[in-house]
Amino acid sequence: MKGGRVWVLWLALLWMSSLQAQEKVLHVAFSASETGFDPVQTSDLNTAAIEQQLFESLLTYDYLARPAKLVPRLAATMPSVSGQGRVWTFTLKKGVYFSPDPVFRGKKREVTATDVVYTLMRFMDPKNRSPYKFLLDGKIEGLDERAAQARATGHFDYDTPVAGLTVLDPWHVRVHLKTTDYNFGHAMAQPVMGIVAREVIEAYAGDTASHPVGTGPYRLGQWLRSARIELIRNPNYRPEVWHFSPGNDPENRRLVAQMEGKMLPRIDRIDIQIIEEAQSAWLSFGKGELDILGIPAQFSPLALSGDQLRPEWVRRGVHLDRIVEPAIAYYFINQQDPVLGGMTPAKIALRRAIFLAMNDGEMMRVIDKGQAIRTTYPIPPGVAGADAQYQSLLNYDPELANQLLDAYGYRRDRTGYRLQPDGKPLEVQYTTGLSSQDRELDEVMKKSLDRIGLRFSSNKLKFPDIIRAERQCQVQFRLSAWIADYPDGDNFMQLWYGPHTHENNASCYQDPEWDRLYEQTLTLPDSPRRDALYHRLARRLELYGVTKVSTSALRNVLSQPWVLGYRAHPILPSVWNYLDVEERHGATP
Amino acid sequence: MTVQMDSSMRSESAWSLALRRLWRDPVGRISLGVVTFYLVLVGMVLAGWLGTRWNDPVAVNYAPPTWFVSAANRVTLPAGEAWDRTLVVPLYGWTDPLEPLWSEARAAAQRIQPEPVSYRLTLPFGADKWGRDVGQKVLKGTQTSVWVGLVAAFVATLIGTVLGALAGYYGRVVDDLLNGFYGVLTSIPYLLLVFAVAAVLQQKGVGTLILILGLTGWTGVFRLVRAEYMKHRTREYVLAAGALGASHGRRVWVHILPNVGHVVLVQFSQNLVGFIKSEVILSFLGFGVPVSSVSWGSMLNEAQNELILGKWWQLVVTTVAMAVFVTASSLLTDALRDALDPRLNS
Repeated sequence: MKGGRVWVLWLALLWMSSLQAQEKVLHVAFSASETGFDPVQTSDLNTAAIEQQLFESLLTYDYLARPAKLVPRLAATMPSVSGQGRVWTFTLKKGVYFSPDPVFRGKKREVTATDVVYTLMRFMDPKNRSPYKFLLDGKIEGLDERAAQARATGHFDYDTPVAGLTVLDPWHVRVHLKTTDYNFGHAMAQPVMGIVAREVIEAYAGDTASHPVGTGPYRLGQWLRSARIELIRNPNYRPEVWHFSPGNDPENRRLVAQMEGKMLPRIDRIDIQIIEEAQSAWLSFGKGELDILGIPAQFSPLALSGDQLRPEWVRRGVHLDRIVEPAIAYYFINQQDPVLGGMTPAKIALRRAIFLAMNDGEMMRVIDKGQAIRTTYPIPPGVAGADAQYQSLLNYDPELANQLLDAYGYRRDRTGYRLQPDGKPLEVQYTTGLSSQDRELDEVMKKSLDRIGLRFSSNKLKFPDIIRAERQCQVQFRLSAWIADYPDGDNFMQLWYGPHTHENNASCYQDPEWDRLYEQTLTLPDSPRRDALYHRLARRLELYGVTKVSTSALRNVLSQPWVLGYRAHPILPSVWNYLDVEERHGATP
Repeated sequence: MTVQMDSSMRSESAWSLALRRLWRDPVGRISLGVVTFYLVLVGMVLAGWLGTRWNDPVAVNYAPPTWFVSAANRVTLPAGEAWDRTLVVPLYGWTDPLEPLWSEARAAAQRIQPEPVSYRLTLPFGADKWGRDVGQKVLKGTQTSVWVGLVAAFVATLIGTVLGALAGYYGRVVDDLLNGFYGVLTSIPYLLLVFAVAAVLQQKGVGTLILILGLTGWTGVFRLVRAEYMKHRTREYVLAAGALGASHGRRVWVHILPNVGHVVLVQFSQNLVGFIKSEVILSFLGFGVPVSSVSWGSMLNEAQNELILGKWWQLVVTTVAMAVFVTASSLLTDALRDALDPRLNS
């Protein structure tokens, strides 16, 4: 009897190991922790990358088309737009089901127009404090009034319909906008706009971030917070076929040859590790333990010579994909900070002096290892509204910074560091993370501030804590980065909009004059008139010492030879659902 | 004969005997020499005679190490990035809130012509990514690490000795309380405890580091000193002192302490080595010294990324400096224990 049991166990194990061999797994790594998977509460790229796979928005971007082009995802077709860009009608795909969850009691739950309306409403619920509220804020008829009512009563009414969100039938929803908005389609393509089911959100109220239930190609498997996230194939996923047009790009033609006509998703399990140290990630890729890796800047000399992949990697069959990120790295100073904030000329001068002392050239050379370009305008290349000719007011110039500080009475004490004009001590607190690259940033920052006689101190936090502190306007000074959610300048300019304080306006800048001009840009499509306004906005940020745009990074992504169909996408945070992996053919050293 | 007898019978103090025994041991002699050499270096850096220029970029980035200096070992680079100071940017209809001082400052800055700076192409110990001399850095790093180790070991030994003496001498409630405290503290894994203290102190700096290590590292000393005091408090000489009217305090600090001094001294030197290693680990993990300073740990942390790029010199120099000191200190601890323990010497 006993022996019999052991025999059965062996058989089961054998059967399981044969399954393991057939299972296709993709291994990837993130450099920072996820923050939890409720789309409405997400603001960081890593979490968005996972949500891109768990949830589906109405629209998305074509995988291969450049510049990025909107295409339908949960919608059956592109929306029909009427009323001068104010009435948007979306048609949903039929037969789309949420991934299985106990809340559905074993029944398959189909997505309908009501879910779309609920998902949009959630962003305006004050309880959710959504960082992406700006996508809908002040845009949809009746929704802001609903939010105001919720602020007054403490309860958001989801049951009464809103004038601007009309359910025509289960598969048609019409959105009435207050003003003309040509970017509403981009808003509907955000991974955070992934459609959710009301009963799931309400069943897990208070802990929605750990119970993501969407319609995406994957669902959440094992999850070790801040360590490992596993995505497994969603059994309810509808039949989707890999079909993209290669255009004139030979690299795209290779992809089409590999992937055209395959049923999606190809990969059974996606294994995401959080590897904060770039070196560990780099070595893992070298050993073949990671399948796709963006080359950490400090290791680019090992992978690249100039802009080409080094021969030893080419011989291993590794592919390089290289694009300019639609992103900016920018310094910001908290305008509400008791030491650096405020609108008196002396404070403005201090902030401008700090920005003048930032050595962008050295930053690119030493920290980015040449894998970045200097950008001065808040809108980076490749995004509508960009201006490569824009001249910054705040170029690296420590002599000018010193003259300015002298002129405004920031005297030096006996140690050579400056005091506030009223004689109080002065210290600039810079916020960074805990990795070794953050220490390098600290070093550049200290050197830069030493040059103009400002005392430096560093505040080291984990990434999610930095974001939290920024929202509470408690970060004094930081080099932050913003990557385009959608390829339009508005996505960058909104970073300084007064009402976005406590959301994405980390500088906590509230300037009625600036806000008024910004609101004007919202009514304009991408045009020279809008560009003129953007130039005024950008200059005002420099004049008042709010921000200095520093660089745009180059993204170099390596993929192993057994990864099929990979192309870096400037906007989509993850493209795992379009990939396939082959059996490895001894390419690992 | 009588003369000889006299000289051999003159009683020597236990401490000078121990010192003689230490000096007779060649390992003890050498390690004492090395440790003294390091302490002198630390003193000189603290006094500002050495390692003061560690933060100055004197060479090109990653200048390689070489001992053969040729005449053409310098390169002159323009100071600062080239940008046209005379360029007037359009304000797009705004007025500058800092006028007229901004224009005046610009005019004044334009008159300053930055001097071109010359950098070295090689250095005896090489340069780091900012072109700082690794030789200077390792001096400064040695000072930080050894100083942190010394002061933290002093703090830990002081706390451990005082609490151990109280617990061992008074026993009963005092002993129970202190033992309970000891038990709680040692039940927490060491690194976790260190991180917890670091999180509570909230500040970064050499002072914080010393506090962290000192406040968490006294437990070993406590245990040993307590045991010694329990043993000694019933000895005849202590009872005699009590009979003669010596107070408890006098018995604890004047009568017993000198007799357990050797245990304290050995513990001190053992802690020194332990704390230097802990400092390296903490700095390596990013909890250590701030960027305004440099230590062995922060240098090793930098070196991990450099090594992969083939820049080995910072790693080698730091490792050698650290390994020599830690080894010498450990050997000295052993030799001290041997010298101070009369039973081993019979």
